[in-house]
Amino acid sequence: MNILLSLNEATRAVNSGSNRINLLEDITLNVNEGEFISLMGPSGSGKSTLLNCIGMLDSFTDGGYTFLGQPVHSMKEKNRSKLYKDYIGFVFQAYHLIDELNVWENIETPLLYKNIKSSERKALVGDMLDRFNIVGKKDLFPRQLSGGQQQLVGIARALIGKPKLILADEPTGNLNSKQSREIMELFSQLNKEGVTIIQATHSEANAAYGSRIINLLDGKIVP
Amino acid sequence: MLKNYFKIAFRNLLKNKVYSFINISGLAIGMAATMLIGLWIYDELSYNKHFENYDTIAQIYQNESNNGDTETSEAIPRPLEFALREAHNDNFKHIVMSSWNFPWYLKYDEKNINFLGSFMQEGVIDMLSLKIINGKPNGLKDLNSIMLAESTAEKLFGNEDPIGKILKLSDSFEMEVTSVYEDIPDNNSFSDLEFVMPWKFYITWQDWIREAEDHWGNNSFQAFVQINDNTTMEAVTNKIINVKKERSPEEAEFNPEIFLAPMKDWHLRDTYENGVQSGGRIENVWLFGIIGTFVLLLACINFINLSTARSEKRATEVGIRKSIGSHRSQLIFQFLSESFLIVLLSFVLAFGIVLLSLDGFNNLAAKQIVFPWTNYQFWIASILFIFITAILAGSYPALYLSSFNPVAVLKGTFKAGKYSALPRKILVVAQFTVSIALIIGTIVVINQIQYSKDRPVGYDKDSLIQVPVMSAEFSGKKDFMRMQLIESGAVVEMATTSSPTTNVWSNRSGYDWEGKPEGFQEDLAWTAVSYEFVETLGLNLIEGRGFSREFASDSTAVILNETAVKYMNIENPIGKLIRDSDYNDPDPAPPLKIVGVIQDYIVQSPYEPVKQAMYVFDAYENESYYNLRMNPDRSISDNLETIEAVFKRNFPNVPFSYQFVDEEYGAKFRAEERVASLARIFTILAIFISCLGLFGLASFIAEQRTKEIGVRKVLGASVKQLWILLSKDFITLVIIALVIGSPIAYYMMSQWLQKFSYRTDISWTVFALACSGAVLISLLTVSYQAIKAATANPVNSLRTE
Ligand SMILES: Nc1ncnc2c1ncn2[C@@H]1O[C@H](COP(=O)(O)OP(=O)(O)O)[C@@H](O)[C@H]1O
Ligand SMILES: [Mg+2]
Repeated sequence: MNILLSLNEATRAVNSGSNRINLLEDITLNVNEGEFISLMGPSGSGKSTLLNCIGMLDSFTDGGYTFLGQPVHSMKEKNRSKLYKDYIGFVFQAYHLIDELNVWENIETPLLYKNIKSSERKALVGDMLDRFNIVGKKDLFPRQLSGGQQQLVGIARALIGKPKLILADEPTGNLNSKQSREIMELFSQLNKEGVTIIQATHSEANAAYGSRIINLLDGKIVP
Repeated sequence: MLKNYFKIAFRNLLKNKVYSFINISGLAIGMAATMLIGLWIYDELSYNKHFENYDTIAQIYQNESNNGDTETSEAIPRPLEFALREAHNDNFKHIVMSSWNFPWYLKYDEKNINFLGSFMQEGVIDMLSLKIINGKPNGLKDLNSIMLAESTAEKLFGNEDPIGKILKLSDSFEMEVTSVYEDIPDNNSFSDLEFVMPWKFYITWQDWIREAEDHWGNNSFQAFVQINDNTTMEAVTNKIINVKKERSPEEAEFNPEIFLAPMKDWHLRDTYENGVQSGGRIENVWLFGIIGTFVLLLACINFINLSTARSEKRATEVGIRKSIGSHRSQLIFQFLSESFLIVLLSFVLAFGIVLLSLDGFNNLAAKQIVFPWTNYQFWIASILFIFITAILAGSYPALYLSSFNPVAVLKGTFKAGKYSALPRKILVVAQFTVSIALIIGTIVVINQIQYSKDRPVGYDKDSLIQVPVMSAEFSGKKDFMRMQLIESGAVVEMATTSSPTTNVWSNRSGYDWEGKPEGFQEDLAWTAVSYEFVETLGLNLIEGRGFSREFASDSTAVILNETAVKYMNIENPIGKLIRDSDYNDPDPAPPLKIVGVIQDYIVQSPYEPVKQAMYVFDAYENESYYNLRMNPDRSISDNLETIEAVFKRNFPNVPFSYQFVDEEYGAKFRAEERVASLARIFTILAIFISCLGLFGLASFIAEQRTKEIGVRKVLGASVKQLWILLSKDFITLVIIALVIGSPIAYYMMSQWLQKFSYRTDISWTVFALACSGAVLISLLTVSYQAIKAATANPVNSLRTE
């Protein structure tokens, strides 16, 4: 098993007034390629913060973070951004599609940032639409879709760059149970195809789709 | 990528129609104003650039001092030419003596038409690179030759070949057409040179011109030069500066300095103060350049304020893009390309506005600007202009919007910070500061013009016309004409003058009188007039009398104006004599006896004190104008018809032409009026653009506070209270702008007024007017939104949550 990423006593602190608060404290964690991890814990326990830091939208203030053998903590912004563009996809609870772009264009956008040629983009987006059975919706705008459909588009967008790691922050939090199941099944399927997934969730049922559960409380991993 | 950006930009434009409208129309108006001003400035700066030898052509100017005041003039004496050719010829490629460009009648067959033309030396052809399209390359060789501009030839000859044809000049001299040159286009110093005749003809034409040959004191001619390529204007000036002083001991007391005024300065820097170049139209170029820049900045500020005010709406998109791999620089690029798109659309609109308004603008500015379709520089400038505007308007919003932290934004906790509105407030204050300064400036300019127009002129300029003396046929006929005109009933009185009523063509010195201070160097405006001068103009006599046919001795009489009496320091002037000061002259002119003193009347600038003037009785047919006081009991058109008939009867070969004196007088205000009307338009545009921005911000704030307003209403707030709540922030900003803008405007306008001796003061009413106007307009602007929000049904706004 290859190690995808490892955290070594990683800490995320913020200054609140004169106090310094640790949102995450001494997180030590190895994630292997092909794992499907569920992060659990009560609201405010730091799940989103951890995902954001792993996803490099945010950064740890202390400790080590290695991704594919490269030390993220000591990396320049430019290299980090490249790592992240190439290997990580995000899925959000609120979907976060761009309102002014239609389905096709939303899925295409990450490819634009990777400077992929137009013909190749067409092929890739087309495949993705096929795979998710949303070809018929490609010209619709986000507000014309149901929540579940929007999340499908969100996942398609996360996958389009062929990431090794998907970070999903309560991906089914706004969905009903039927839609949730479909999304979770999709994740299982992706995981079987080799994508590593870390999801934050409140739901035991969702967590059960994963291969490992990590519990967070007040910014610390509890055994 | 760019396509993706433009797509988003377009969809945003369509989604937010009000903001798009405000942004695009504001920018379009600002850009159109800036483009018009740009075209105007380009036109001003390209004045005379038509001439190939632009850089080496100059006119010879002269400084002369009287009692410490130095006056600068382009009028020079004839012997200067010989001195320059003899001692300094190696500096010049050409020295071209010239008469003034003056109207002359040219007659061919039945056609007798008035054209402007000059008598000039042959070098003019090469100096001005006149393009000969027909006839001899040098058409000024023979004494009786005449060169015609193409349009002149066409008017006189139609399709006939003019070369070799004989024209009659002033119905008396026969001139042979030797060549035709291409018209000199508008916007050039010589664009109204409709014909050229040889200088050597001119100098044989009249006694006074012949006699001026060795007369260093007769400054009645012009000289243009082209300097050699290997020297500079300054170097040549240094060599010739003392040439007159050295050669003419009599003139040395006026400390004459001869210098070159380069062609590039003729139009833009033609004002001299005490002998030193002190600006000219270049000041207007700067003024309008600054106004144009400001108008554009105002429009850019709207764009900046509206984009940043709405940043919360764009924040999510920024967060998402960052989370799916966008670099900040890519976002900056995206927002810049969005502003580029908007600026491009605005430019297209501005382009249309410019095309539609160019005629009106030309009218106002007295220009003949044609749209420079084929000028590649214009297109390059336009592209640069679009980019510059896009960067001015777009860079701050791009930097600001792209800076959002994706984690904060996506968590939904994003709120623009407490101070995020501060830059917007500062920019609104800046906008209104500029607008208020412009309002005050425009009011002061208009006040100054009105103030000078209200200044008493000192004569009755209504129903007074002047008929220029255009032909030798007029000579000796003035009394006879006066009789006929009065008999006709159209004219109640008539007098001739050697200068028009609204100008002085001659200034004289070399007099002596009782009480003249030791070493006093007098400089008097000199006009030769006929008997009924005082009566015809309706002047006010303070002492003595006007010229009278009852006194034979009046042929050597003189009338002074009040200022002259004070200036010359004459007590009890009536009966005193003014003598020629040249006691060595074996044949001195007879002394002039003062018979009357008139109240000052405005002859030259209405902004300056009236100059000391002497009005001598015209015993030598110096008349240039017949001044006719028309019969007030008859209609003007009747009078004019009758007068024309009398002239036609007496001078059948001379076309009748005349000017209304009050129009001639009104022309003195034209330059300032032009500035005023342009300033007024740009001020209105500035206010409009600023209010457009205010309107956008007000609607944004109202939208943002919909829920708060709903709650307040439910709690019992009245519409008036809500209106005050929503308007007061904006009005505070406008008031801050008033406080900053007023002193700035006061300072600048005080400076501007310095150039007028006769000037209005800037009263507090100007500020009161400007400030109350600004507050009122901005209040109206924000109130629309405030009242709309305050009267909305609160249930609707609260339900949306
Ligand atoms: N920038 C910040 N400054 C201060 N506190 C923060 C900041 N970001 C998050 N928090 C706090 O950190 C805690 C963890 O938040 P989060 O990671 O969103 O938890 P979860 O996703 O598990 O609900 C919360 O109490 C939140 O209020
Ligand atoms: Mg969370």
